[in-house]
Amino acid sequence: MLQHDLTVFIVDDDPAVRDALGLLLGVRGYRTAVFGSAEAFLQAWQPHWRGCLLIDIRMSGMDGLSLQRELLQRGCRIPVIIMSGHGDVGTARTAFKADAVDFLEKPLDDERLIAAIDEALLRARAEHSEQVKRSQSANLLSELTPREREVMALVVMGRHNREIGPALGISVRTVEVHKARLMSKLGVDNVADLVRISMLNK
Amino acid sequence: MTDSPPRYLVFPAFIALYLLFDWATYIDPLYGLNITPWNPDPALGLVFWLHYGMAAALPWFVALTAGEVLVRNAPAGLGLTLLLSLWLTIGYGLLGETLRRNFGSGGVFDNRQRLFRWVAIVVAGTLCNDLVYISLLSLAGLIPAGQWGTAVLRFGIGDMVGVVVSMPLIWMLSSGAGRQRLRDTVYKAETLGYLGLAICVLYLVFGTIATSEFKHFYFLFLPVIWAASRQGLYGTALMVFVLQACIGFLVKWHHAVAIEMPELQMLDVMLALVGFSIGIVVDELRQVSSDLKQSLRLAAAGEMAAALAHELNQPLTALSAYGKACEFLVERGEQGEMLKSAVQRMMAESSRAADVVRRLRDFFRTGAMKLEPLDAGQVVSAVSQQFFTQLRQHGVELKVQDLPPLAMLADRLQIELVLRNLLANALDAVQELPPGAPRSITLSAQQLDSRRLGRGSCLQLTVEDSGKGVSEAMAARLFEPFSSTKASGLGLGLVLSRAIMEAHGGSLWAEVGDHGIFRMALPLARTETQENYVAA
Repeated sequence: MLQHDLTVFIVDDDPAVRDALGLLLGVRGYRTAVFGSAEAFLQAWQPHWRGCLLIDIRMSGMDGLSLQRELLQRGCRIPVIIMSGHGDVGTARTAFKADAVDFLEKPLDDERLIAAIDEALLRARAEHSEQVKRSQSANLLSELTPREREVMALVVMGRHNREIGPALGISVRTVEVHKARLMSKLGVDNVADLVRISMLNK
Repeated sequence: MTDSPPRYLVFPAFIALYLLFDWATYIDPLYGLNITPWNPDPALGLVFWLHYGMAAALPWFVALTAGEVLVRNAPAGLGLTLLLSLWLTIGYGLLGETLRRNFGSGGVFDNRQRLFRWVAIVVAGTLCNDLVYISLLSLAGLIPAGQWGTAVLRFGIGDMVGVVVSMPLIWMLSSGAGRQRLRDTVYKAETLGYLGLAICVLYLVFGTIATSEFKHFYFLFLPVIWAASRQGLYGTALMVFVLQACIGFLVKWHHAVAIEMPELQMLDVMLALVGFSIGIVVDELRQVSSDLKQSLRLAAAGEMAAALAHELNQPLTALSAYGKACEFLVERGEQGEMLKSAVQRMMAESSRAADVVRRLRDFFRTGAMKLEPLDAGQVVSAVSQQFFTQLRQHGVELKVQDLPPLAMLADRLQIELVLRNLLANALDAVQELPPGAPRSITLSAQQLDSRRLGRGSCLQLTVEDSGKGVSEAMAARLFEPFSSTKASGLGLGLVLSRAIMEAHGGSLWAEVGDHGIFRMALPLARTETQENYVAA
């Protein structure tokens, strides 16, 4: 499964391991970028980067788990795969608690590595499309007038037009007009979809 | 009497051996009865019982009866002889069964507690047996009136001494493992030394004993203590048995029945008990020390495995990734530079892995250490050079103070390993400091007086770092295996370093303080004029 718009970021302090993983993933058609330390990666990190991280747990300087934690703190939800020289249960648990995709033992098993990367990239893509939808609906919502937003808030709470009119001090007929207009602006034709959009942006 | 030979061979052999013991120790009897001052035959019987349990009763009864008939012509008459033998079989059997219940067929002489329990059971058992036996003889009118006390004393002491002195050796000889260990322990020139000494002392003591009433008996402690302290319980068991046998032989040879045999026996049993107590303590100490060595070896092996695993994992990871990449390239029909360079990089990685293995093998050569005089300054500079890049990278200042021109006696590779380990720890410690804090490591050396090696005999190397130091609580656990405080237990632990230093006759310790202080002490190489002394 090739993911041309996504990058695998490899962070390992061993130049040979870095190089070899870069080559292996490169010939398989993945886009890769390599970093010699956690610090170097953090320094270069851009919020628009998309893909997944392949981190060695044991590095001089900042170690793999700290990098994972640091990224979470910065609100970066890029999927992470941890590699370890000797997989002890404790560190594996810590990694998974911080939402690692997989915990791989060195020397790496090729199939597991590829499976983990594909899953991580899938997650990255899902996360991305979720984000896109969210920003799209946010854009649409911003086009609503204040009155339309008031009507929408009450509609998604399950109120009938008969209740909304008196509540806002307008006629039931006007409520119906607002409702039709806001639904066409948001591109939905039923209340269920309306509720979904409003949930997305809570 | 091992477990393997069939019973129809073992039982007659037991009876024959029992009769032989009975005959050989039928010395100084009272009233022509089996009341002699040394009876090792029950010891044989008890060991037999320990191995065979109830099945030992019949052969023992046969042996006792045969002894009365063949050695003493059954002075009590046939009926009474059978009755007395029956009682002795029951009495000894109870004692044997008590021992068997207490020790199973496992080791009786494994530790102090078991040894003392054995002594207590034997003393109580023989005494009980003795009282009934002599009373029976008394009732039958075989012991003159009023002589009951003398007979009890004589027979009781004889049995007790016989069992205490002979049973350990017979027990050891009765099993394959025991024989093996006895052979390993005493098959040394030194054994001849203390046995020779024992016989000399015995001859001298015995020459004067009739006239001086055991005044010089204490000399016999010398060979016993020699045997006990050098060879533990196994040597002592042999020693006291030989001593006892010699006493018996000398008495029989000299026909020196006039001397106070029971008193001599009491002295002898004390000698045996002292010897056994020292011997078993020596054995236990040896066991503890070998256990300790074993766990140290395990710790070292664990550290080594961790270091190996990490060092080898990296090249192996790279190798397998390169390999897989090559497979892809070949499948794609690629033959150009890319494939070639990948293969070249694979070869570089495999030689790196081989390097790791070679280096570690050099470090942990199992053979003897190659001790040579080493210049302290050279060792320090060789090791600190390896850290220059790391030190610069992390902004750490390394101060090496003027080192006295001293030579220490050590294995270069191993000492470098220890020093490297200390420097790596110091580097880790200063890296944990918040940015801006001064980062420095100081190396210094002093000449120390060692209580053990004399004045000016020791070189002390100190590695100090500006890290947060070692707390009281940490210091206690620092040198325990597997107590690393670091997330990654890279390299070789302090446990191994200390083991190396101790193997050199030196030491390694940490001092509690506000910054890290680790000191290692090593014996100095002697100056040229004293070279011969070292070689000797």
